[in-house]
Amino acid sequence: MTINEKSILRAQIIKWITRVFLILVAIVMMFPLVWNIYSSFKTNTEFLTNAFALPSGLEWDNYVRAIAKSELGANIFNSLFVVLETLCILMLCAIPCSYCLVRYKFFGVKVITTVYMAAIFIQATYIMIPLFLQMNTLGMLNNRVAIGLLYAAMQFPFAIFLMTGFMRSIPRDYEEAAMIDGCGPAGILRRVIIPMAKPGIVTVGMISAMSAWNEYPVALVMLTDSAKQTLPIGIANLYEIQKYATDWGALFAALVLALIPTVILFIIGQKQLLQGMNVGGLKG
Amino acid sequence: MSEKSKRPAKKKGGLHRLPVGFICVCVLPTLLLTITFTIIPTVRALWMSLWDSTALSLNPSFVGLDNYIYMFRDEYFLQALANTGKLLLVVPIITILFALILAFILSQTKLRERGLYRTIFYFPNIISMTVVGIIWSFVFHPTMGIVNTFLQFVGLGDLARPWVGDSATALWCIAITLIWQATGYYMVMHMASMDGISNEIYEAATIDGASSFRKFISITIPLMRDIIGITFVLAMSGTMNLSFVLSRVMTAGGPNGASTVLLQYMYQQGFVNGNFGYAMAITVFSLTISVILSLISRCLSSRGEEKR
Repeated sequence: MTINEKSILRAQIIKWITRVFLILVAIVMMFPLVWNIYSSFKTNTEFLTNAFALPSGLEWDNYVRAIAKSELGANIFNSLFVVLETLCILMLCAIPCSYCLVRYKFFGVKVITTVYMAAIFIQATYIMIPLFLQMNTLGMLNNRVAIGLLYAAMQFPFAIFLMTGFMRSIPRDYEEAAMIDGCGPAGILRRVIIPMAKPGIVTVGMISAMSAWNEYPVALVMLTDSAKQTLPIGIANLYEIQKYATDWGALFAALVLALIPTVILFIIGQKQLLQGMNVGGLKG
Repeated sequence: MSEKSKRPAKKKGGLHRLPVGFICVCVLPTLLLTITFTIIPTVRALWMSLWDSTALSLNPSFVGLDNYIYMFRDEYFLQALANTGKLLLVVPIITILFALILAFILSQTKLRERGLYRTIFYFPNIISMTVVGIIWSFVFHPTMGIVNTFLQFVGLGDLARPWVGDSATALWCIAITLIWQATGYYMVMHMASMDGISNEIYEAATIDGASSFRKFISITIPLMRDIIGITFVLAMSGTMNLSFVLSRVMTAGGPNGASTVLLQYMYQQGFVNGNFGYAMAITVFSLTISVILSLISRCLSSRGEEKR
């Protein structure tokens, strides 16, 4: 009896030690963000006093200034536009392409698949200079539509890698049945493959949306017109300006505004995102 | 295999004729975009790295490998390379170690809120690197930063310094930020493969009186060797890629190039100095490193799959 009690006590102690340790790690992970959020409600004089101190009131004016005195509104709109465009192009192109690569044995299918697998390694940050020259030749600099196209193209290899994996695991019998019912290839794709590969498609969508929303190096090079820049560039510019203007309240408010959409998307799609990582295990 | 043996006759039959038009419509746009935005720029980088073209020169001349030879005599390039090397030596090891420990604790513990911890630890990874860089440059801010305020609070005010403005610490500020944002990501990857380890092994070890630390060293790590290899290489390539954004946002490569990384030097040569030919040589060099890292990870992962 006493031995049993002892071991229960021991287990309880270990449980609490682990819990305290994990809570400490959680604080390290979250504190910079929490600090950012509550500091965004401080007045600029409060910034100069204790860094940890909570704000005395809610200084919503920071948010007003963040939007009014910068291009942030336009930046957010541009980012939303680019993300939606990226998703549309990506889905429209990559889903049918993956399907064909998986199911049909046409001339060059092996070569094309190999090209995509190799292209996963070529990340846009590395080739930003030749990419810039290429966009310049095509007359696509400072063009939001072109950036969406470019982001979609950058996601193709990874998206195709993930989706072909998903589609390969779908049993052929469903397609055979649909074919006997008189369904053409496009019909099979729309009515059989897309519904069945939905988890994979959603995962690809989540990962691509987040990386397009957060992308910095390529947008930095391609978009120089401040009215056309996406949010990460706008925020970085704002930071450069506020280093001298020292309107920290507005800067922190802008950071929070940039965080909100990613947080919402993460809360909605957490499951798919984490699942996709187990399947794909690659980050762009 | 079974597909082939089951229906060899049907394949050649009329029902299974290749829908050529459908395939073209599906495959060609994607292929065309990939060629335009990935293949051609890469080939162009290789080609242009052999020329001395600049943003201004109208007739660049062919210089062969001169750009590559010059690279290793350029002290700023070597500094950037050394900085990247330092990050690659330190960041992946610490990141993967933390990720492994946290993954082990979370997968072994029976705490009710473990899902919550997983979400919280993963969270920094979804934030834009620009935002991460700015937040952390405030964490290290000389007067209103968390670090210095904390040091003063616990009475170690003497240690306070302008972390990102000091050439001795600037690079390590970037390293800490990289570790902070990547740990949760690799933790989730490790957890996924730790779930694959049978519980019986751990139970047997418990009966034999093994401590948690012992289980971690003698069971978890050996069984996950291949996965650790993959995540390690991924962390290296992530470090190379993401250090550019952080270095640009947090320190602008300074002070005096003390925190410039490879990709940032490439950007600077290309877009600030306009030395396209030389920048292309750096592009090819960095790309080669990245491809080698990816190939290693690919080999490791296919080896891991064969074993299973």
